[in-house]
Amino acid sequence: MMPTTWPAPPPPGAPSNGYTVPYPAPAFTPVPVRQSFGQPLVVPQPHLLPTYPLAPNYAHPQSQPPPSAPTNYATAVASPPSETPEQKKKIEWPESVRNYVQRSFSTDNLVASVSRGEMEAKLKETISQAADNNVMYSVDWDSMPLPQQMIVEERKKRSQASASAVGSSPTSKKRKSSDLSDVANLAINNPPWRAGASRLEDRVSFSKDKRQASDETPDNSKLNKLEKRQKRFNGGYTSTYRSPSPPPDNGPVVGTSQNLEKRYLRLTAAPKASEVRPPHILRQTLELLKKKWKKDQNYGYICDQFKSMRQDLTVQCVRDEFTVEVYEIHARIALEKGDLGEYNQCQTQLKALYKLGLKGKPNEFKAYRILYYIHTANKTELNSALADLTAAEKKDPAIKHALDVRSALALGNYHRFFRLYNETPNMGAYLMDMFVGRERLAALCNLCRAYKPDIPLRFVAEELYFESDMEAAQFIVDHQGENLLTEKNGTIVFLTGKAGALFEGAKTAAFSRVDIKGQI
Amino acid sequence: MEFGKEFYREFAEAWTTQNGYQLGQTISPDLPAADLQRIYRSMDTEHLNWKNGRNDDYKTLIKRGLQNSGVKAQGISPNEVQGWAEVYHAYWKSTGCLFAAKRSQGNQGSTSLWTEVYDEWKKLVNALIQGYNSHGFEAWTIPCLYMAGKHLRLFAMKADDERNKNAVDNDPSAAFRDDFDPESEKHKQLEDCARVLNRIFTVCLSDRAPLAESRKWGIYYIINLLFKTYFKLNSTSLSKNVIKVLTAGRGDMPDFYAFPKSQQVTFKYHEGVLAFLEENYVEAEKHLTEAWNTIHKDATRNKELILTYLIPCHLITTHTLPSEKLLEPYPRLQKLFLPLCRCIKKGELHAFDVALQEGEDEFVKRRIYLTLERGRDIALRNLLRKVFIAGGFVTAKEGELPVRRTRIPVSEFAAAITLGSQEKVDNDEVECLLANMIYKGLMKGYISRDHGMVVLSKSGAFPGTGV
Repeated sequence: MMPTTWPAPPPPGAPSNGYTVPYPAPAFTPVPVRQSFGQPLVVPQPHLLPTYPLAPNYAHPQSQPPPSAPTNYATAVASPPSETPEQKKKIEWPESVRNYVQRSFSTDNLVASVSRGEMEAKLKETISQAADNNVMYSVDWDSMPLPQQMIVEERKKRSQASASAVGSSPTSKKRKSSDLSDVANLAINNPPWRAGASRLEDRVSFSKDKRQASDETPDNSKLNKLEKRQKRFNGGYTSTYRSPSPPPDNGPVVGTSQNLEKRYLRLTAAPKASEVRPPHILRQTLELLKKKWKKDQNYGYICDQFKSMRQDLTVQCVRDEFTVEVYEIHARIALEKGDLGEYNQCQTQLKALYKLGLKGKPNEFKAYRILYYIHTANKTELNSALADLTAAEKKDPAIKHALDVRSALALGNYHRFFRLYNETPNMGAYLMDMFVGRERLAALCNLCRAYKPDIPLRFVAEELYFESDMEAAQFIVDHQGENLLTEKNGTIVFLTGKAGALFEGAKTAAFSRVDIKGQI
Repeated sequence: MEFGKEFYREFAEAWTTQNGYQLGQTISPDLPAADLQRIYRSMDTEHLNWKNGRNDDYKTLIKRGLQNSGVKAQGISPNEVQGWAEVYHAYWKSTGCLFAAKRSQGNQGSTSLWTEVYDEWKKLVNALIQGYNSHGFEAWTIPCLYMAGKHLRLFAMKADDERNKNAVDNDPSAAFRDDFDPESEKHKQLEDCARVLNRIFTVCLSDRAPLAESRKWGIYYIINLLFKTYFKLNSTSLSKNVIKVLTAGRGDMPDFYAFPKSQQVTFKYHEGVLAFLEENYVEAEKHLTEAWNTIHKDATRNKELILTYLIPCHLITTHTLPSEKLLEPYPRLQKLFLPLCRCIKKGELHAFDVALQEGEDEFVKRRIYLTLERGRDIALRNLLRKVFIAGGFVTAKEGELPVRRTRIPVSEFAAAITLGSQEKVDNDEVECLLANMIYKGLMKGYISRDHGMVVLSKSGAFPGTGV
């Protein structure tokens, strides 16, 4: 089995884990964010610099500013704007300005993609500019665009600018024009790494409720604090990774990489567009991998490639039928190679993807799921899986087969079980292979108790679905039953009457261990 | 009760008599909306009464009220009074939310009223926990924890319901994360509630005071709340953890049978169901029987719940079916079990399959499907027994009692099974079924493959059935 660094996803089906670990593991782990804890702050948006009275402090990052300084900065940005005047200078603000501030924060005017922190910064910038230019009373505040509108406007401009810059750069000559509009559209959404940062905070504060905090209307001081911390994190974070590059808050990555193959590396930072492959490249990758898999059957390589492909899809927020296909194929290959860790990850994702209504082979994978629960002897989940099936699904050949397998085993009907084993649809046999051994032992125990004095070896081979008499004999010998095989009237017989409880120990042992990584 | 003289007297009285349940009543949220509103408003009146030039906040007011209520004579420390002031302040705040939520019931205007109630109530619970941890609350006051915990769970469920009902079938793409779990979103508040209850559990469990005045006396009430919560969350493994913690520290615990019977029954019921879900039917039967024997005779609904699991247990452990008399008071159980029971009794395989299929949804919902399915073995046993009886007797020797025919061709069983299940079953599969019967001890004898014969025991071929 491949060693995998991918975090085992909390199984949606197993509420035990799902419950105790409610904190999402993001597509990548934004670990370095924490490093910014003790680091001096670097103002993230250079164009705001001149308006900050405290700015000089931050021009010398190596001279650790006293702890009060960063908080100072943070409060200046994130405290409610009504307080800002007192903190700065004692100025009487005109009524029109107060109204303007109020309008900005009125819930009707909030824009989901603009965080409170950004808004406050913008607001402060606007007002202090007016104050510096002594136009406080002359500006028509009532017709002034609200800070969130300004931010959205600026972003648009910026993304257009960067899009055209990208377009002119040599690496992306092949990109189609349609991709450019994507950039602008996506720019408004919250980028995935932003979500990642806030989720890290969830872990730190052990509060689940804040998961969506950044999207909600910040209406109390707690959230405000959260914003401050986010600001602080983001500040340290972004400056470490992408100082000269375009601003980080422009939506999910749109990959520009043209390489078909890519090694899987667990992300510890925001993904770089140049290293992410866009969907049309990934499609080519998939074709290439299919060919390579047929030709070389090198699982280590294939698994690695599929993981990087899944990662590229995740960071670009691509969820369509192609995504389903990638996960389905990877699940099948993992199944074939008995890599249950990867298989389970794919199954978890597929469950969510099918729920989105995307086309694929849900029934095939539901059947696998049932077989898998049989393997792990997870009665609780099995019961839940039964409860979830619709009448139509129960008629689907693959699902019906899985259900029949379950029922045959429940009633100890090994005869029927091994017939079903013989006619497993799709790739279910790989799953059944995992528990067919223990079921053979159980059946053997049965035979030994029920038949006297003996049965033909051929009968054992047929009933337990061994490829040959030899294989059946080998199985018996492997479990210390060599003395029970003897020749009688020209055929080999199995002396069931003398077996006693020989296979019981092996059977118990075989049924007792089921412990699998990434189990669902 | 409204904040005011009457309330403080009640507080003092509970304190003087050390009546925890009376004290618990003072933080009951289980009141009509009008009363809640009165309580919420009473603080304003209090505020006016006390004002006299001072502008204290409500918490200080409550604190002063408690101090002057006469509890000082009971040796209450200022620190403790402070703790209770926190509790009652939180209580006061939640009555406001609760009133709003109750008043708007049925109208869809707001979407988060119950969430607010939950959040406020949680603050009360936290104030209580804090009280035990750092304000020196005494053990006799634990009924307050019962009251708080019980309603926390109820509010959590209401908040979840409210959110799920109002969710505009939210963007399914939000579901696409590496670890997406729709269930946990659905039970957001209840999961949070489970964590809070777990803290209460710790508060009770970790008390090192002598048993007579230990918070450990609260443990089973809280465990039962946890069980209910975990069951609702479908998380049986967490319930098992609770039992593990309990068995680990059993030596330090008060005797189980010294706890109120209602708590014993609830605990045993859950313990039994947990064993049942693990297919440990012997253990399950033990606990459920105990619950059954202890339960109040009029608790029909709960008796019904116990029987829902005890009946399948008996089917597996002793192969017995419930009598009609037992089921008489429970029409629901009759509907659930009687069709299956009849088929089992008569050995009608096909009818059994049909009945199982018809009840499948209900059985699966109650998590007894997989257990009842195994009742087919008993139905089969009864069918095979009929074959055996139909075989009649072999001519007895002079002076001996007649003996049943014990050598029966497999084909006779095959005919019966084919007839009974209404599908063609070949001899190999019949042998497999027979082997199973023998292996499971439902039938005594052996199969002779060479002769196509089943040789049954002369004494008790079908143990426990009289033949």
